[in-house]
Amino acid sequence: MKTTRAKPKDEKKPSGKRDRNKEKTKQQILAAALELFRKHGLEGTTTKQISQKSKIAEGTLFNYFKTKEDLALYFFQKETSDLIKWFAKEERLQKAPLPEKLFAIIHRQLEYITPYEDFIGAVFFRSLQAHSKLSPLSLESQELRLKYLRFVRDVLQQAEENEEIPRVGEMGAYAVGLFYVGIVMHWLHDGSEGKQKTLALLDRSLNLATKVLKKGGWDW
Amino acid sequence: MGAGIAGNYLAYQMRRPFVAAKKNEEERGTLQRKNAKQIREGLQELRGPVMKLGQALSMQTHMLNAEAIEELAGLQMQAPPMHPTLMRAQFKSAFGKYPDEVFRSFELEPFAASSFGQVHWAVTKRGEEVAVKIQYPAIRETVKKDFQMLRTASFLARVTGHLSEPVVAEVQRGILEETDYRKEAQNLEYFGKQLKPLGFVHVPTPYFELSYENVVTMSRMKGLRMQEFLQTNPSPELRDKIGVNLSNLFFYQLFKVGALHADPHPGNYLFNQDGTISLVDFGCVKYLKPEVVRCYAQFWSREWVHNAPLYAEITKVIFGPQFSPRDTRVRRCMNDIRTFYDEFHPLTRTTETLELADPKFMAGLDRLLRALPKNKFISPEFVFLSRTELGMCNLLHTLKARVPMTQIVRQWMPQTYADKAQSKVL
Repeated sequence: MKTTRAKPKDEKKPSGKRDRNKEKTKQQILAAALELFRKHGLEGTTTKQISQKSKIAEGTLFNYFKTKEDLALYFFQKETSDLIKWFAKEERLQKAPLPEKLFAIIHRQLEYITPYEDFIGAVFFRSLQAHSKLSPLSLESQELRLKYLRFVRDVLQQAEENEEIPRVGEMGAYAVGLFYVGIVMHWLHDGSEGKQKTLALLDRSLNLATKVLKKGGWDW
Repeated sequence: MGAGIAGNYLAYQMRRPFVAAKKNEEERGTLQRKNAKQIREGLQELRGPVMKLGQALSMQTHMLNAEAIEELAGLQMQAPPMHPTLMRAQFKSAFGKYPDEVFRSFELEPFAASSFGQVHWAVTKRGEEVAVKIQYPAIRETVKKDFQMLRTASFLARVTGHLSEPVVAEVQRGILEETDYRKEAQNLEYFGKQLKPLGFVHVPTPYFELSYENVVTMSRMKGLRMQEFLQTNPSPELRDKIGVNLSNLFFYQLFKVGALHADPHPGNYLFNQDGTISLVDFGCVKYLKPEVVRCYAQFWSREWVHNAPLYAEITKVIFGPQFSPRDTRVRRCMNDIRTFYDEFHPLTRTTETLELADPKFMAGLDRLLRALPKNKFISPEFVFLSRTELGMCNLLHTLKARVPMTQIVRQWMPQTYADKAQSKVL
C-alpha cells in the first residue's frame, strides 16, 4: 500500500469549500465501502473494489484512507458526531430522566450500526488486537474515545446537577462506555426478533444501575 | 420485598401486647396496607405472570381485606410504563417505522399499562380513533423463565398433588398465548362476530394491517372502568341492568360461543350509562372443549344425582380419568359444587333474583374455592372457565347487582338440558 503522509491537522489551511468537497469524497468512499462490507465482509473487500465502487482512483483513495481500519475509524467518528448533533436537537430528551437519556443514546448508536452488523462484528474482533488502530489503546482511536466520553460525561453531569444520581465523576462516563461495549456484544449475538432481548437488557440494566446509584452512589 | 414484609410483621407483633384493642386494629390495618403497598410495588416492577397473580389476588374481594384489595387493584391498569424512547424502539422493532410515521397522531403517554404491555391512543392516517397496544420487550422469555421458577418453587405442591403439572402447563399456555398479539387480533375479530347478536357488548375492531406479534391496533372503546363507574353513583336499576348483561355475556359465551374472554379483571370491562359493556383485551381466550360445555349443562340439570353412568361421565371430565367416581373426595367435591350452584343458579327458583351483594353468596364461593385445591382437584380444562366465572361473580358482587341467574342460565343452555332441568322441577 502506498504511503503518503497526511499533513497534521493544524498545518492545513483549506478553504470552506475545499473542506466540504473533501468531506463529500470521504463520505462517498465510506458509502461504497459499507455496501461492499455488507456483501463481502471487512476482510473479503479489496481496496480495488472500493475504488471501483466509489469511482475514485485507487491512488486518490489512499490519500483519504490509508487502510480499511482508517475507514472504520471514520465510520465511528461520523457516528459519534451524528449522535452528539442529534442529541442536542432532541428537546424532549434533554428533560427526560437519566435512564431514558442513556437508553436513547445507546439505542441511537445501535440503530446507526444496525445495517452493518457483519462489519461491526469484524471491527469488534479487530479492535481486540493490540496493534490495530481500532484498539481502544491505540493513539488513533483516542480522539474518538475522548469525544464520546466527554459527551457522556456532560449527560451524567446534568443528572448529577438535577440530583438524579450522586456524583460519579469521570468514572461514570467510562462505565457507560464499557456498558455500551457489553451491549454491542450482546446485540451482535442476539437472535431474537427485532433484537428484543437487547432492548429488554438495556432498559432493565439502566434502571437497575440508576436505582443502585441513587441508593448509595459508588460507596456501596 | 419478602424481608421488608416480614420486618413490618415482626414490628407489629412486638408492639401488639402493649397497645389497646382498638389501637391494635388500627395498627393491623396500617400494617396490611403497608405490606400490600410493598407487594404491589414489587409485582409492578416484575411485570409479566407475577403481576397477573397480583391482579388475580386483587379480585378476591371475599378473601382479602379492603386495604389489600385497594392497593392491589392498582395493578389492574398501572404497571410502570415503558418510557417513550423504549416504547418507540419497541414499536419500530415490529413495524420498521416509528409510530409518528405510521399514524396521523400518536399519544406518547400511555392510557394504561398492564402486565404485558401498554395502550396508547392514536389516530390513523384515515382519521380513525384507535388504541395501540405495545408489548414490553422480551416478555415471552420472561413468562417462560417465571414458569421455570414457579415449577421449582412449587415442587412440594406438585409432589403432594395439590398443584398438578397439567394445570401449570395450561396456565402457561394461556399466558403465553396472551403475548401473541396477532392471535389477539384474530380473537377480536372472532368475538366481535360471535357477540354481535347480544347487542349490548362492544368489542373493538382489529386493524390487521397495523398489527404484529407484539403490537396490536384496534378501534377505541368508550366507557368507564368499574371504580370510575361506581363513583358516578349509578342507580340500582342501572347496576342490575349491567349485572344482567354481564351474566348473559358469560352464559352466552359458555353455551352459544363455546369460547370465553378469560381475563375477567375489572380493567377489561368498560361500563356505559346505557347499560352496555365494552369488553377489551382479548389476549387470554379459552376455546372450550365440547365435553366441558356439555358437562356444565349436565351438572346443572342435576340428572347425575340419580344416574350413575352420567355421574361417572361428569366426574371423568371434571376430575380426570385417574379418579374413581366412587372416591370419597370426588363425592365430597361434587356435593360442594352442587351446594354452591344451588345458591348461584338454583334449579327450583327460576324467576327469583340473586342478591350478589349478599356476603353469604361470596362466603359460599370462598368455601368452594378452598375445598377444591384442598382435595387436590384443579382440572386444567376448568382453570380458565373457573377464573372467568369467579371474575364475573366478583364483578357482580362489587356492583351489588340483583340478577335472575337461573332464568339467564336456562335461556342460553342447550334446550335438552334446560328441559331436563325443567322436568326435574316439575
